Amino acid sequence: MSLMKMNKIVYILAAIAFFPFTSKGQNLLDKLNNEFPDKPIYEMATFKTTRLGLGHSVETRKKGALEISWYNRYWNRPYGETQFFLADEVNMRFGLDYALSNNFAIGVGYSTWDEVTDGYLKYKFLKQTKNKKGNIVSMVALQTLSMTKNDISTGLYGGNPDVTNYSFTTQLLIARKFNPKFSAQISPFFISRSNGSMNVEDPKNQYGLGFGARYKVGGHVSIVSEYFSVFNPLKSVKTYNPFMIGVNWELSHLMLQFQMTNARTFAEDSFITQTANNFNFHDGNFHFGFNATFVLHTNKNKL
Amino acid sequence: MNKLRLLLLLLFLKLGTVFGQQFIARQGQVTFFSYATVEDIEAKNNQVLSILDFDKKEIAASMLMRAFVFKKNLMHEHFNESYIESDLYPKATFEGFLLEGLENAGPQVQFIKGKVTIHGITKEIEIKTTIQKTNDRYTMSGEFNLTVKDFNIKIPPILSNNIAKVVLVKFNFQYEPYENE
Repeated sequence: MSLMKMNKIVYILAAIAFFPFTSKGQNLLDKLNNEFPDKPIYEMATFKTTRLGLGHSVETRKKGALEISWYNRYWNRPYGETQFFLADEVNMRFGLDYALSNNFAIGVGYSTWDEVTDGYLKYKFLKQTKNKKGNIVSMVALQTLSMTKNDISTGLYGGNPDVTNYSFTTQLLIARKFNPKFSAQISPFFISRSNGSMNVEDPKNQYGLGFGARYKVGGHVSIVSEYFSVFNPLKSVKTYNPFMIGVNWELSHLMLQFQMTNARTFAEDSFITQTANNFNFHDGNFHFGFNATFVLHTNKNKL
Repeated sequence: MNKLRLLLLLLFLKLGTVFGQQFIARQGQVTFFSYATVEDIEAKNNQVLSILDFDKKEIAASMLMRAFVFKKNLMHEHFNESYIESDLYPKATFEGFLLEGLENAGPQVQFIKGKVTIHGITKEIEIKTTIQKTNDRYTMSGEFNLTVKDFNIKIPPILSNNIAKVVLVKFNFQYEPYENE
């Protein structure tokens, strides 16, 4: 072998020796970053509760979650017998909500003051994605049904206690989580009734738009607000659009909501279109709301 | 002459893979345990990535916090939303090096020194691990403790009995040769 050949071999061997050090200059963590699968990541917890405050949010619980809820509204009478302890009147709703799948939920409830039984079906058909491509909003279809024989609470229906009045609310909930703290929701709704109002001037079907938002002020606390605008309000009774501002606080399995509102009732058709007082601090108008929801997991993940 | 070049080129390629051999674990498991008075919490991540470079005695691991699975789904939401804030800090990472070189025989105890980053905060850590070689694969397992407070994870006082102050972390990685490009 000539000297030249020897030299070449030495060069090549040197190249072998140094090659790994030059090409592996890339950081190991950078390498791992390229290894993550390119799957869509969905936003979670646009709102933390299935109800923003008054109405539904786009949130659905994961499969097997049972929510036991107790909603309250307290208010004072403007006149008459007004000397009750703390508050003159209370409306309570006892509810059960169950998630049949991660996207499909059902629920029932009963409100004491207006004696309304209500139920709903809720299906999340679009989920906001975190990655750049994908959905910019989450969308939920909500269908509720409420029924009552009580015709005193609103005076809307004819005075026949033998007839059950059914009301149906169809709502499309569209929400976006803009950043980890701020989420907003817009919800067109359509309300129809089995029995019309006793006043023929009143619309049988009503529609409008709901607005809601939350702002997280801490890991567990957020400020929420909601407003519903009815486009064709009742004519026989003066009604006002419901408004709510409140605080949502979650403690492990317990979600607490504290709110100031003018809405007295809980069923969608009732509080959206039949709130007969405006939002202010006068007796009879000011309502303090307190909702407690306990989440029970009926099926647990295997680890 | 040309034949010799070709031979050397082949040798070069062969040696290149042997020298700079890196190993990757794509389905590494990381489990953490929080034992507290009110409840015990356990969560498992089966999609942890880790890469080992024996040549330089370097190791790195990276995981999506979202991929942790909890027994209760609500815990998953709270973990991501209220504690670890995975919207802001989606990953936890580790970067370190083996204190000693690897021997070829049987299971051996090694110490790894490095930096762990969780919730945007980086801490120095030393981890005791057991490494075993079977054929051209490596298995690495071990456990260590992390103090929740070190990583600026806020626990409201009212829930302080629900979450342990110190969390036990266990890991198990199966490495296979890393095909470069």
